[in-house]
Amino acid sequence: MRLKCIGCEVLARPLYHAAVSSPHIVDIELLDKGLHDVSANLRTQLQTRINAIETDRYDFILLAYGLCGLSLNGVKSTTIPLVIPKAHDCITLFLGSRDRYMAEFRKDPGTYWYTLDYLERNDHGSDPVAMGVSYSIDLEKMYAKYVEKYGKEKADFLMETMSQWQTHYDRAAYIDLGLADGMKIENLAKEEAAKKGWKYERLPGDLSIIQKLLHGKWDDDFVVVQPGNHISFAYNEDIIDSQKNDRVPEK
Amino acid sequence: METILQEILDGVVNGDNHLVPEKVNEALDKGTSPETLLNQALIPAMAEVGRRFEAGEYFVPEMLISARAMKSGLAILKPKLVKQNFKSYGKIVVGTVKGDLHDIGKNLVSLMLEGAGFEVIDAGSDVAPEKFVEIAKANNADIIGLSALLTTTMTNMKATVTALDQAGLKGKIKVMIGGAPVTEGYATQIGADGYAEDASKAVALAKQLIDRP
Repeated sequence: MRLKCIGCEVLARPLYHAAVSSPHIVDIELLDKGLHDVSANLRTQLQTRINAIETDRYDFILLAYGLCGLSLNGVKSTTIPLVIPKAHDCITLFLGSRDRYMAEFRKDPGTYWYTLDYLERNDHGSDPVAMGVSYSIDLEKMYAKYVEKYGKEKADFLMETMSQWQTHYDRAAYIDLGLADGMKIENLAKEEAAKKGWKYERLPGDLSIIQKLLHGKWDDDFVVVQPGNHISFAYNEDIIDSQKNDRVPEK
Repeated sequence: METILQEILDGVVNGDNHLVPEKVNEALDKGTSPETLLNQALIPAMAEVGRRFEAGEYFVPEMLISARAMKSGLAILKPKLVKQNFKSYGKIVVGTVKGDLHDIGKNLVSLMLEGAGFEVIDAGSDVAPEKFVEIAKANNADIIGLSALLTTTMTNMKATVTALDQAGLKGKIKVMIGGAPVTEGYATQIGADGYAEDASKAVALAKQLIDRP
């Protein structure tokens, strides 16, 4: 088979690694992780890329994404079937199964996640922001904007109010994917945990979903979305399903 | 008296949390009733804030700043209103669902509801379904408001509706839901009584659910 994989850049190393050993011909295209900050941007960008793929060139389009907020909800297959893992977000893809992610999430919902590709691809010029929320915020920039607009006292109040949720976060978890030297990121996770008083944990990564995606082994961990259908939020433990295009998603 | 009410109203809309308590105290000293201050200054002020938000003139920061000013006035009035046995618009328990620690949305909705004259019981974040039911029951609440930011946690909204049903309170205590991944369709699917897209619409929905204009 000839496969086109469009994925988030936070999965760069895992995707290239899986492509090397795939029995199929795989072309990889990475999209900016910053698109995730606004669901509609990621959805539009992804749809544009899907639509631009030459129909006679590929058998399947692989999406190395999860639902990612609701970013992937409504993404349509036009002429080539789409394959997407059943995942809320990339943490599932780093941990190897949605059950393991849910177990980790239940154990400690207040977790900042650290992985190599995610953090080294931080091109906003600010401190790396760990994964743990559905959006990343450039806090300093935001504060400066508030000071200018509302004055210092109100800006302080806004920052305190809007970052209060962070006080509920209490774990830094580094996922070791075993693909490259992640010492720098591991140390960063440890340092931040020590600085903020969080627990630190090192978890072994499991790239089996990414492997299966690029190797064409689409079992129960995947949904194949046929032309004329779109990706849809399943509202259950399957996370993602496929719906006919005449059923328009709400968001 | 009207000038001072207008000053308080403007103070809230402009988010002046120094002027508002000062003027509220001044009005009380001059004999204005706490009820008048609430109904003719604080509530209309927050309604105006809601209107500006819906019109795209105000955003979340302006809303928060105004809500803080409103609260600084309300804090003075509250003990007096309680003493007078003042009836609130309705009682709402709000919280983020089990597993969800993100409470900006919930806090904003609480502030807007308070600013509309509701009594808000904040259950906090990461609240278990049974806990919501227990708090709502203990407080004789009219509505439970559920918030979720993540797709991983929003299914706990359904669990909360189920818990309410099992306690025999479904329909008696209404459930309204909201948050980034939540939709009207999801509300219908899980048997919630309503969905609101933002804090301003949450006020309108709460009023509708409580069946008072």
